[in-house]
Amino acid sequence: MKFLKMPVACVFLFLSTFGYSQSDSDYKANTIPLQLKIKANAVVRFDKQIVEVNDFDDMYVTTTRIVTVFNEYGNRHQNAYEGYDNNTKIKKMEARIYNESGKEIKKFKLRDFSDESAVSGGTLYSDSRVKYLSYTPVKYPYTIEYVSEVQMKSTAFVPQWHPIDDYYVSVENSEYKIINNSDIKIRTKSENFDAYNIEVISDTHVKAKNLNGIKYEAYNPGISNIIPSLKPALSTFNMEGVKGENNNWEDFGKWMYNKLITGTDAIPQSAIDEVKALTANTTDNLEKAKQIYQYMQDKTRYISVQVGIGGWKPMDATDVDKLGYSDCKGLTNYTKALLEAVGVPSYYTVVWGDDDIKSIDSEFSVTEGNHVILCVPNNEENVFLECTSQTNPFGFTAGFTDDRDVLLVTPEGGKIVHTKVYNADDSQQITTANVSLTATGDISAQVEVKTTGYQYNLHERVVNKSLRDQKLSYKEYWDNINNLEIALIDINNNKEDVVLTESVDLKASNYASKSGSRLILMPNMFNRVTNIPPRYEKRNLDFKLQRAYKDVDKFIINLPEGVAVEAMGEGEKIESNFGSYEYKIEQLNDNKIKYTRTYIMNKGNYNKEDYNAFRDFKKHIVKLDKTKIVLKVN
Amino acid sequence: MNTKPHNLSKMKKLLTFTALLALVTFAKAQDFKFGKVSKEELQEKVHPMDSSANAAVLSKKERIYFVLTDYDGFMQHREVTERIKIYNKEGYDWATKKIFLYQGSSGAKKEKVSNLKGYTYNLEGTKVAKTKLKKDGMFEEDYNDFTQINTITMPNIQDGCVIEYTYKIVSPFLVIDDVALQYNVPINKINVKITTPQFYRYNKFNNTKASYFPRVKESREKRTLPTRRGSFLGTSATENTSAYNNTNNSYFEDILTIVDTNVPALKEEAYAGSMGNYISKMSFELSAILNEFGAPQKSFSSTWEQVSKSIYKRPSFGNQIKRTNFFDDDIASIAAGIDNPFQKAALLSNYVKTKVKWNGYYGVSAYKGTKDAYKEGEGNVADINLLLIAMLKSQGVNANPVLVSTKNNGVPLYPTRKGFNYVICMVENQGQYVLIDATDKFSSLNVLPERVLNWKGRLIKDDGSSNWVSLMPSQQSQESTSLNIKLEEDLSISGKVRQMITSNLALRYKKRYMGLSKDDQVKSIEEDKGAIEVANLKLENKDNNALAISYDYELTDAIDDIGGKLYFSPLLFMAEKESPFKLDERKYPIDFSIPFKDKYKVNIMLPQGYKVETLPQSEVMEFKGGEIKFSFVVKENGNFIQLSSEFDLKSAYIDSADYSVFKEFYGKIVEKQAEQIVLSKI
Repeated sequence: MKFLKMPVACVFLFLSTFGYSQSDSDYKANTIPLQLKIKANAVVRFDKQIVEVNDFDDMYVTTTRIVTVFNEYGNRHQNAYEGYDNNTKIKKMEARIYNESGKEIKKFKLRDFSDESAVSGGTLYSDSRVKYLSYTPVKYPYTIEYVSEVQMKSTAFVPQWHPIDDYYVSVENSEYKIINNSDIKIRTKSENFDAYNIEVISDTHVKAKNLNGIKYEAYNPGISNIIPSLKPALSTFNMEGVKGENNNWEDFGKWMYNKLITGTDAIPQSAIDEVKALTANTTDNLEKAKQIYQYMQDKTRYISVQVGIGGWKPMDATDVDKLGYSDCKGLTNYTKALLEAVGVPSYYTVVWGDDDIKSIDSEFSVTEGNHVILCVPNNEENVFLECTSQTNPFGFTAGFTDDRDVLLVTPEGGKIVHTKVYNADDSQQITTANVSLTATGDISAQVEVKTTGYQYNLHERVVNKSLRDQKLSYKEYWDNINNLEIALIDINNNKEDVVLTESVDLKASNYASKSGSRLILMPNMFNRVTNIPPRYEKRNLDFKLQRAYKDVDKFIINLPEGVAVEAMGEGEKIESNFGSYEYKIEQLNDNKIKYTRTYIMNKGNYNKEDYNAFRDFKKHIVKLDKTKIVLKVN
Repeated sequence: MNTKPHNLSKMKKLLTFTALLALVTFAKAQDFKFGKVSKEELQEKVHPMDSSANAAVLSKKERIYFVLTDYDGFMQHREVTERIKIYNKEGYDWATKKIFLYQGSSGAKKEKVSNLKGYTYNLEGTKVAKTKLKKDGMFEEDYNDFTQINTITMPNIQDGCVIEYTYKIVSPFLVIDDVALQYNVPINKINVKITTPQFYRYNKFNNTKASYFPRVKESREKRTLPTRRGSFLGTSATENTSAYNNTNNSYFEDILTIVDTNVPALKEEAYAGSMGNYISKMSFELSAILNEFGAPQKSFSSTWEQVSKSIYKRPSFGNQIKRTNFFDDDIASIAAGIDNPFQKAALLSNYVKTKVKWNGYYGVSAYKGTKDAYKEGEGNVADINLLLIAMLKSQGVNANPVLVSTKNNGVPLYPTRKGFNYVICMVENQGQYVLIDATDKFSSLNVLPERVLNWKGRLIKDDGSSNWVSLMPSQQSQESTSLNIKLEEDLSISGKVRQMITSNLALRYKKRYMGLSKDDQVKSIEEDKGAIEVANLKLENKDNNALAISYDYELTDAIDDIGGKLYFSPLLFMAEKESPFKLDERKYPIDFSIPFKDKYKVNIMLPQGYKVETLPQSEVMEFKGGEIKFSFVVKENGNFIQLSSEFDLKSAYIDSADYSVFKEFYGKIVEKQAEQIVLSKI
């Protein structure tokens, strides 16, 4: 396909009609309305982004942004950077710095911006680069004016409008407009407009005025669910030279299947023969998938290399087979090819992968997602495979891709489905212990911790550590016990049923503290909640508890000769919307005490008004977890 | 020119006894033939000496030598060959290697990599399968203007595989990069040989803070060139060529050889500071370029005196202190009428802090120059502190630079220019002195940022003479806390906290909290303190840059009522809840950074109708004859219980040899603070 170029002069002519309407006062820090200075490290004075769509493979983005920065935390809101690659050309980049009273003190031209390869932490190589402003402020507040013009051949990622893009930044004026010079249909979707002062001029033209800063609050449902945004998508687009159609997820999925996946899934005959032989002993699809997943895990490793459309197109399965490494796309596609060889259907699946739960928008199809997994349909239930892990149990998704909408790429087109939800009973931690106490307050104990689901995911990382580091991590895990010595560790990782069993023999001197002739013993030794959610004078944001889980504890405490119970509580039960908690202490006989505890957290979305109740619930648990038994030493 | 430096050893012309010894071991190490691994290597399941190792370097071979070329003079060649065993998935990172190439500042001189080759070996049944590293596993990335990164990632990695790669870096620079002699996995065999021509004299250092030292052997050999060359006089003389302008066709080479087996892995230890300080390595510094007769044509450092002098002579250093005309008018009024040089220093350092902001870069050389830094309001460490020195000098204050090696640069144990990476200012008057670093807005006279607090620095006077000054704080930092506790009828506690924090502890506190909003300050005080509510928080700067903090608190979960008796620990939320020292043993010291003293005065008012039943025992403990002291004294006084407690740390370092005693000592402190007061009804 030919790149249709618009005469440059024409572009500029065009732009001048949209001449800036910012005023001189935008450069002066002292003209900011007081309300905008509260809860803000920086104020966006003026932000105008114009996206010109000239064709499916020609887009021109002009940005003007004036930001007043109050302190060093505000520097990150300059947003004075542009990424680029072979398909993205930076036509103009300029910045000017103004002092508090609006006098220009510094100027940066294109060549003054720093230039670096944009390789992020986990990526081995990428051909994308970034130009950014590195400016050391002399004095706060200062104001920066940033202007850029960028020509893009890829239109799969049209810049979205997020007038507020972070906590602690407020906005005086922001404008976003798409100018469509083509006959391509442009769809848009707006989110969270209601709570903000936003003027909608058309589907593709919006303005915001005086948006207050947002303060960070714990357990909030994620900033992207709070802030206003407008996202556009072109019905015909170009991604690094590959043309696509996108009117809905079905289209988009079909395009992905036909243009990105088809043709990359051939594998050598030797590999086909190998997996056929491997799965010859079964006719069950799920069993075959299990064997192949294991085969793939043993053979490959995760390496991220992003070149050109490699950001979205998987590496050839033949190459993965030969090299033994690839990224999520390559490994998923390779596993898919292996499954196909033994007649098991599976679907390449696009997802937002993170511990924080984030869904692909089921209502609006646009290029999104940061990760790829594989879906193996199994009657009613879909099984999802994480192909970048060499150790993950088959079908286990808790903690990274669980409980969210994802996009299946099928030959018939894209389909949105939901991944597995782990309920409280699916994510358990069962701790049992047999403890012996001495008359001086020392303890020795055999402890067993069994975990499943999301809690398995939290505990599993101890498996592959060296003995030295395992000992250290148990000392951190039970940091409420001082002088802890770990004698024996035995870990059983049952991947078939996804149950981790950690058996630890330990001892600690002076665990029970002395007070005259008494010993004061906290019976909850091995699973104490200590963290109380932060207190807010006035909570502004609703909150979210992302996952449910359940803890069950049972500790038997053996008392030595000459030590008797003087006083102890019997137990207590708490019920709330957020979960439930119960502990009990029973004296089984003269020298045996049984401590039991059950703690369940529910998942859910809650109103800000309920936050204090949630905090009280946790506070109460923290207190009850410190329950003491007073022992008399004769 | 086709020179293979390995052949040099065959010449055996001037072999000394030690060199011969080295050769014998060398021959043994040659079992490792590139491209051939044994089944035994592939079958090995765990490292025989370190079962915790996820990978091990079976063999590391490194050769550094100089090759004379027609146009560029001597070029530095560095050949690296490594064979690595990967035991399990945690060791897979070793299958990726990054090679950093310096691209020069002008772009004309560049380092280049060549002869890059690699193989992965796996055991397939009883056969050794070999997979070659191809172009698709090699990536060249222009990281920034100065650095190119060449990344290789090996194919077909599986548990138990062995990988092997080799490459050569050809460099037009005379700087020899550090040679690492230790990794965070074990090295079974190491074989390093560094050959330098007689014209370049290098000082060689190994890291004395390491816990592993290799055996190092030095020797000298004669080297004859195949043809006569003497045509350098006609070309433009660069550092690389100027030395070799003789008409002889032979010269000597200095050879340093390290051959050893079983190098232990460097393992991370918390609270040791940067582990990079403890890695075993060889460093090289060019100390002189000699002419054909062996006389120095250009010489660099070799004593601390010379190092200091050579730094002082740089235009980017000494000259910066002398230029004053660009700020004269601006500062005339600032210190007018003040005689005390320390007062002047305080005023002018504050002025510099407001005028020029630190851009985050270290350095002993001014980057922009003091003038431009002053004009633009931004500069590196040397720009800022040399500017301050110049200003002070212009006001008749006896101010001079002190060269510093920051904490992450390591302690300057040997005289080398690389040893210093930072400069601060010292003001002397009548036998007293203060140290100043104007890069940090919260630092003050004699209260330096922690990056600077590294043993001692080198003071340089105008005449170029120099001597050592201690950088460690002469005064202990203090945190004095008074805690008032009132027990309410509903078993909650209310009270007031007053704290006075001085010197570096105050600096630390300010850096952490002063940028936060009041709200967030309260939040971070409340963090990890249980069911507490803090109100009326006040932070106040006091004389000598001390910090006064006060707040009211309410605590609802501190008292337990069990069987009608009340139980609580007197330090409440101020108590140390756990000992951070969890390792069973350590190889490296604990670094507290600064000596300090924590003092607590607690005043507890008894509730109506209760009396004291039991108090914690008072106790005084000492570590190592008083290097650290701890006291905990509880008294009953009418309606009140009073506790005074002190933790006094005089030396910021705890030697690894004393670790187990210290761990126990610290554990006892934590226990003591957890002891309970018991109150019973009257």
